[in-house]
Formats: sequence, C-alpha cells, structure tokens
Amino acid sequence: MKTKAAKRIAKTPIIAAVAATLALAGCGGGSEPSANPSAAGSAAGGPSGTLKVNWGGFPDSWAPGAEMEAGYMRVPYETLVALDAQGQVTPVLATSWEQTDKALTLKLRENVVFHDGAQFNAEAVKANLESVRDGKTAFAGPLKVIESIDAVDDLTVRLNLASPTPSLLTTLTTRVAPMASPKAIAAGTVAQTPAGTGPWAYDAASSTPGTRMSFTFFPKYWGGPQSVGFQTIQLFAIPDDNAAAGALSSGEIDITDMDPAMLERIKSTPGIESVAYPAIRNNPMFFDRGPGGVFADADVRRAACYALDTSVVTKLEPDFKARTQHFAEGETGYNQATAGYTHDLAKAKELYAKAGNPPVKIEVIAAPYNAKQFNVYASQLAEIGMEVKVQTAPPPQYNSTWNSGRYALGLGSNDELTPFDWYKAWFAADAPGNPSKTESPELKAAADKAIAAGTSPEAAQLWGEVTRIISDEALTCGHLAGEELVVWQSQRVEGAKAPSQPWETNLINYRDLKPKGE
Amino acid sequence: MRKLVVSRLALAVPQLVIVAFVVFSMTYLVPGSPAAAILGASATPESIRQVEAQLGLDRPAFERLIDWAWNALNGDLGVSFVTTLPVTDMLLQRMPATLSLTVGGMVVALALGIGLGVLSAVRAGLPDRVIGAATSVGLSIPEFWFGMILLLVFAVELGWVPVVAYVPLTDDPLAWLRGMILPSIALGIGAAALIARQTRGAMVEALASPYVDTLTAAGVSRRRIVLRYALKNAMVPVLATTGLTFRILIGTSFVVEQIFAFPGAGRLLLTSVIGKDFPVVQGGVIVIAALVIALNLLIDVSYGLLNPKVRPQ
Repeated sequence: MKTKAAKRIAKTPIIAAVAATLALAGCGGGSEPSANPSAAGSAAGGPSGTLKVNWGGFPDSWAPGAEMEAGYMRVPYETLVALDAQGQVTPVLATSWEQTDKALTLKLRENVVFHDGAQFNAEAVKANLESVRDGKTAFAGPLKVIESIDAVDDLTVRLNLASPTPSLLTTLTTRVAPMASPKAIAAGTVAQTPAGTGPWAYDAASSTPGTRMSFTFFPKYWGGPQSVGFQTIQLFAIPDDNAAAGALSSGEIDITDMDPAMLERIKSTPGIESVAYPAIRNNPMFFDRGPGGVFADADVRRAACYALDTSVVTKLEPDFKARTQHFAEGETGYNQATAGYTHDLAKAKELYAKAGNPPVKIEVIAAPYNAKQFNVYASQLAEIGMEVKVQTAPPPQYNSTWNSGRYALGLGSNDELTPFDWYKAWFAADAPGNPSKTESPELKAAADKAIAAGTSPEAAQLWGEVTRIISDEALTCGHLAGEELVVWQSQRVEGAKAPSQPWETNLINYRDLKPKGE
Repeated sequence: MRKLVVSRLALAVPQLVIVAFVVFSMTYLVPGSPAAAILGASATPESIRQVEAQLGLDRPAFERLIDWAWNALNGDLGVSFVTTLPVTDMLLQRMPATLSLTVGGMVVALALGIGLGVLSAVRAGLPDRVIGAATSVGLSIPEFWFGMILLLVFAVELGWVPVVAYVPLTDDPLAWLRGMILPSIALGIGAAALIARQTRGAMVEALASPYVDTLTAAGVSRRRIVLRYALKNAMVPVLATTGLTFRILIGTSFVVEQIFAFPGAGRLLLTSVIGKDFPVVQGGVIVIAALVIALNLLIDVSYGLLNPKVRPQ
C-alpha cells in the first residue's frame, strides 16, 4: 500500500543516522532506562478512551518484511531496540547487546508474550529475522549480512555476520525487523492478523475489513497498563485528503496525515494542531560515472550540481527542505565543513566549459511522485546545455530500473540512516547502487579507515570525512528532506508530538498520547 | 425462453475464456516485474530474479496460463503475491462493498431515471424542459466531484451521515443503509440522467402508438395506460440501457469507493495493478466479467419476457 505521502516522493525505510549510534552499538548494551519504553505517556488510571487515526490506507500485508509504514507497524509490533529522542539506541525487546566485527549478541527481555500467547524468546527472534532475510520481502537486503542466527539460550540470540556491520543495531530499530509471533508467521496468518508484542493487540471482532482496524490494550503487555494513554487505537483508511479533513472536523477521526495545502484550509478550525517532521530524503545520483561515462568527469558532475536549484522544488513542494548533505546536524556522518552546491549558473557553465562541454544527452526515468521534481531539474540542466529527457513509469517499473545502471542519472530516496549503510549502498565499488563500479582511491581509503574505526569515538569524524569526499567528488548533490505533516484535534487528544524514531513516515508518538483532560 | 437462456449461457463460456486470455496476457505484457514491486526501492537485479523464481514467474507464460485457467475452473483463483492470501477470499471480502455500492447506484439510477423520464414524457411544457435541463446537468457532472460535494455538505457540514460510511450489511443493516445514501446518489446520478432520457424517448414513442388511442377509446384511464401499458413497452429499450449502465457503474464505483473510503474491489484492484499483484488483478477482472455476463443474461431474459419477438424461434 502507498499512502498520500508516497505520491510526493518515494519512501522506503528511512531511519536517521544518529549520533552515537555506532558508538553505542558496541558498548555492551547500556543501562536500561525503564521497563517502560515511554513513561512520559503514562496515565495514572491506566489506558482509557479510543484514539482514531487515519493514515490513508492499510498495509497490504502485516507480515514482517512487508512494506508496512511505521504508523501501522508501531501499533501492534515492537522492535528489538529503538531510538530515543536524543537518537540513542535504547532497549525494547532486547535489554542489552554486544557487537563485534563477527557477531551481534542480544540479551532479550523476560516475560514477554505475543498477542496470540506465543512466548517471545531467542527462537522467536531467529524465526522473525530469517523470515525477513529469506522471504519475498522488501527488507531482505539489509539483513543479508546476517550469515546465521544462533539461539544461544532462551533469552540470548547471536547474529553471526558475513562482514563487519556496525550499523546493524540501528537497522534493528527500524521497520526492517518488527517482532511478530513465530506461530502466526508459520501459519501465514500474520499477513492479515498482526500478532506482535506491542501494547495494542489486533481486535478482529471490532474491526471492519478495509475500513477500520481496531487494536485494544493487551493485558499481558510487558510494559504494564501505565505505559500508554489510550485503551484502543482504531486505524482508518480514508485515502482522500478532503474526506480526511472532513472526518477530522466532524470528530470521526482524531489524527491524520495531510498535505500542507489542506492544512491551510482547515487550520482555523478550533483545536486543530499539527507537527511536521523530516521523514524522507532524496537526491539525484550520477550513475554513469565510470570510464567513458557521461558523468565520468567530476567537473561535469559539479557543473550539473551547481546548475540544480533545489529552492525551486521547495517552492513547488513546501514540505521539502533543502540540505547541504545527506546527514543532518547531530547525525553521524554530518560534516560541518561540507557546504554542498548552492545554485550558481555562472560557476556551472564555467566548470562545464573547463571539462570541454562534453555532450550530455540522456534519458532518465521518474515515478509519478517525483516526475515533477525531475522535470524541474531537467529544465535547470538544460540551461547549461545538458539535455535530459524525463520519462515517467509506474512505481514498480521505476523501482526496478532507476538505479540499475540503465540510466546515467537517477533521482530517488536514499533511505540509509548510517554513513556505513549509505556508503555501502551507493558509493563503494561493489555497492548495488553503484552500477559503474568505480570508486576513487581517496574515497575508498577514507571509508576503509572509518570502517576500521568501528565503534570508537573517532568513527564519527572519519565518516564525516567520507561525506566530504562524496560531496567534493559530486557523486550526488541536491539533497532534500521531505516532511511528514501530521494533524490532530487537540480538543480530544493531548501529548502529540513528532515521533522520537526519526525518518519514518505516517507516525505519531502513540504511547505518549492520552485522551484530553485525563 | 429456455432456448434463449441456453444460447446465452453457451455464449458466456467463450466470452469468459477470451476475457481470461486477454487479462492474463495484458498483465504480463506490461513492463516491470511483480518481484520488483514486492522488493521495493532496494530491489537489485539478482534479488528480483530470485523472487521471480519463488513466484514461479520464471516458467513459460503459456504454461502459467494453462495452470491458472485450470485452477480458476476449479474455483481457485490463485494466491496474492503480496498478501499470500487466496485471491478468492480477498475478493469475497471486498465484493460485498462494491456490489452494495453498485446496486445502490443502480437503484438510484432506476428510481430517479424512470420516474423523471415518465414525468417528462407525460408533462410536456415546463416540467419537460426543466427535467431535460436537469438530465443535461446530471450527465455532465463528474461523479467524483459530486461525491465530494455531497460529502462536504451532508457529512462534514451538516453531520447527517458519517464520512467513513461503510458498515457491512450483516453488522448493522440500518447503519449500512445510512452509509449507502450519499455514495449511491453520487454514483447513480449520472446513470439516472441517462435512463431518464432513454425512458422519456421510449415513453413518448409508446404514448403515440395506435394502441394507446384504442385504450383511450375503450375508456381506460390515462394513469392506467401510462403505467400499465405504455411503460411496459417503453421498458424494452430502457432495459438495454440498464445493462450498459450497470457495467459503467461498476467502473465508476471504483472512483466513488475512493472518496467514501469504501473497502471495495475497486480499491483492491487499483492497489493490485500498481503493485503488480497479478493473481488479484486477474481474479478480480474475471469475477467482474462473470458478473457482467450474468447480468447481461438476466437482461436478455427480461428482454425476452417483455418482448416475445426477440426470443429465438
């Protein structure tokens, strides 16, 4: 399923690379802040009331590994670890961990049961991760690095790694690996009847298939009744923004995602409040940069980068914000000295001339949701004499070809939340997103150094250097961050704010929410 | 009459076979792989090949067509690539909402269309002109726009009906009926205009027939002539329009489903087409085609009942 936000830009699991994530990954787990993952949301008398949320549709499948946006997944499911508001990896179903180059060992929480009564233990973790890694799933890729999984004992699981992967713990905070009942996975029922360990369990009897999915507080939830404010969460599937705004006004729903233009129309309604948080990142990629390629010359790439004017896109799509680099300030990989490429046509022309004005006459592919952006870029590149013809294809065709090497230039989301993952996905010589299979010796040396630094304190600085080289070589540029806009009726709900788990779409801080006045 | 039914049933079989063949071929002719849709943006050529093998998409297309057709004949429409659920179950879950909406739209179209058409035919002058103008407006209004206006006025502003309208009939018949009102009107208004025009024309022709003069001379009341005799004869061409209208309503219901958040087959098929979930697309189209063929059969039989001249001799 794709919801409204997906029309604006591609979205796949995007998770923030967060400062200290890598450092924490190997520190042996850290103290457990609370048995309750969100004490802030505690309601003195336990959960009460019904929260009605609309994200515009329902997942086609609730099975782990399916394209299930966070706003759905984080109702019935939990992950092994999570990111807190400071970007620190914190315990959820795993209470501590230890990572080496060869393995990530996790100690699991005791007395956790799935909604269908199955016990949460090492075998359950193994079954979940294997089903995602080996199945027909959207998130198999990030888990391929796990060579094998050992259930060391009932509450200890060891993930044996094919190669050092300091970002794996961060990956486990995301929708790549929600923990579902192994019984439901084996039976195949999990696709339509989610059974996780989260505070709210799916209530089929109170649901209307296709219209409303109801989740009620799970009495055996390990966090206890004080961990959440609402007794019931109902998810709705109102795909049309006008209808969703109407339902919010009439009280049929309490929270919905929305386009900024629609918010403008209803924001004078008493009680309407909103929050926007960065949820999607995208940028152009120069794929044909190998010897003889259209973008082999770094000056040609730089010229193209200076020709791009992201401010035009941010005016057309007000929920986009321009950035100088992939990682935001405070995230590992951010480099303060990297200023990116501010639009400068004269400089673009100068650099293109310096490269000898080699002809750039290419065809690129766009999806319906980013075609407008790509056409803007094509017209800007035309100003320095680069001819880019944009053809629009349906999402499946776009997804399978835009980064396959068939096109010299691509525009898509870069979902990676750690610099290790970003480098390994797009820039390393053997990266799947580097069809030209070229990598400068300088970049390789810097990346090797950063990887070797592992989880040490200097790793962050070394990854910042990798970011600088990627920018200087103009392997990509024109970074944009798309925001998710969530609107709620504050006369009925309080405690709403942006989720602590960043770079996820259709999400709100469910556990902190409570009925107004309670 | 039996001959008519048998001949139409015999025709239905090749019709379904052709639809099945065309749908199967079309889905596999469109570019892009279902495996790519499942794997999303992180798909690599290698992972796409692996998943295609798991889905059986590496087998020859003709072999897959034969397998699929044989299973479909046995009531098995396959398994969804995305949800891994049987397509038959998925369609059975979604079809009630679509059928509710389509039948609701049809009821609005027939009630309004025939009523206004008859009124227009028997009341020449201003009523006829007003109804004529109204049908022109009805034909030109896009259903999605009209549905949105209805929703904003009656659900949002006045609060008479819910925005999230659909409740299964089996859960709460009254709530179901309440939820059906706006979507049925939105869906049926265009078809009502079409049927009104058709009815008016047929009624004017029927009322000008010599038998009407004979009945009048025999002292039969005008009301009885209109409702008992002229309307029956006028229904023959209207029935043909009704069959066509039903097919249009099924297609249009997909748009209305979107506005009123109806969990119908339209939304399922739309997401399945985008996600290249071929078994669902193929199963959905075959079921809809079978429905339309069944309805055509029903209309042909009704046509034969109303007009003995069209029955096979």
